[in-house]
Amino acid sequence: MPPIGELDVVLLSLKVAFWAVAASLPAAIATGFVLARKDFPGKTLFDAAVHLPLVLPPVVVGFALLGLFGPQGPIGRWLEPLGIVFAFRWTGAALASAIMAFPLMVRAVRLAIESVDTRLESAGRTLGANRARVFITVTLPLAWPGVVTGAILAFARSLGEFGATITFVSSIPGETQTLPLAIYTFTQVPGQDAHVMRLCVLAVLLSLAALAASEWLMRRGAARG
Amino acid sequence: MRERLARLLAAFILFLPAVASAGHTVTVFAASSMKEALDDLARQFETATGHRIFVSYLGSNAHARQIEAGAPAEVFISADADWIDYVVAQGRAVPDSRRELVRNELVLVAPARSDVALSIAPGFPLKAALADKRLAIANPDVVPAGKYAKAALQSLGVWEGVKDRLAPGESVRAALAFVAAGAAPLGIVYRTDALAERSVKILGKFPPRSHPPIVYSLVLMKRANQAARVFAEFVASPKAQATWWKHGFITDPERASDR
Repeated sequence: MPPIGELDVVLLSLKVAFWAVAASLPAAIATGFVLARKDFPGKTLFDAAVHLPLVLPPVVVGFALLGLFGPQGPIGRWLEPLGIVFAFRWTGAALASAIMAFPLMVRAVRLAIESVDTRLESAGRTLGANRARVFITVTLPLAWPGVVTGAILAFARSLGEFGATITFVSSIPGETQTLPLAIYTFTQVPGQDAHVMRLCVLAVLLSLAALAASEWLMRRGAARG
Repeated sequence: MRERLARLLAAFILFLPAVASAGHTVTVFAASSMKEALDDLARQFETATGHRIFVSYLGSNAHARQIEAGAPAEVFISADADWIDYVVAQGRAVPDSRRELVRNELVLVAPARSDVALSIAPGFPLKAALADKRLAIANPDVVPAGKYAKAALQSLGVWEGVKDRLAPGESVRAALAFVAAGAAPLGIVYRTDALAERSVKILGKFPPRSHPPIVYSLVLMKRANQAARVFAEFVASPKAQATWWKHGFITDPERASDR
């Protein structure tokens, strides 16, 4: 493999992380809302299941994805005729990142929704709005800074995803070889130290940018509230 | 109560290594394809001598790079000569301790349930058999199994067709896992890997002349202790041959053609 451009690696990483967050954000908001506002039998179990990727070794998640979403897996087999393929595609890298980052997003959303005053929601209800309308016009706007923070945190986590990704979709240049995978792969090749160094610097810069963005948004949220 | 439990736990964690290290310990860096066979031999050695053997299994390239960075290996077993040359050139190995250990063969595998029929020959339709899927193979630039596989496909004239359709693994066992999980319809691994994994089946063996001979070599690091030297003697001894053979490795090149 000739070293492909560092810019290509960064762009692929950004694409994977963006779609990982964008595709899972609605589910994260729904899950965060349910955990913040609803009580039901088995909630503890549900909560634990949501948080599992945070505590499991990433390679376990990657191996489970490989088994479930591979072309012969119980889920992959159903998706393949529909043209949805995850194995060894960038979409698989996004799926792995989304699952690993999901708990972080849910936690931020849940905290944000819990801090929304339920009296405001009740007021909305007494004024005739249904539950969905109250959620969209009252709860979500008030919780929005928390949602954004969660999304940025998840984005940063996705940029760094390694274990689940390499186990599930390998490290294919231009397809699944995101920044951490490229760094890892090139550390194993003699004479690529300069290349590795440049990629490491890029990783640091990207992470700092994501942190700065979330800090800025949090301050803005705090100033507003 | 809680405090006592915490203390107990701390004591347990602190003293665990001390309990485990009665006798000498030897750290071995070995090719990932040797897992079952070397685990077997290490257990035999531990029982016989009371020493403890810790084996790390990775692609030989990864181990060579770690040794270069100062990793505390005492014995290095590589699946090709290049990575032994590499650590010798770094000045970290005892050059005259180098010895050939065992040999292996390269096979084409598919998931056990696969109905693909493909026989290996010059120009065989590997690309067509893959359809839109990928060929699982160890990283062909650096991992020994990948380098052998690339050489074999090049000499059979099919490399150009599949080089953009690879699912490269960081070791041969990563490539094996892709096939075992059914994620890749075909893969190239060592014969011993295929024998160790029940979820894959061998479609065919690559002709020995299609790639450089697959020779595993051992070298002692300069930091090796006496126990490491004895272990190196043991794995290369006639006594160890039956175990290597049982796991599919070739200890006597003359007999390779018998199978």
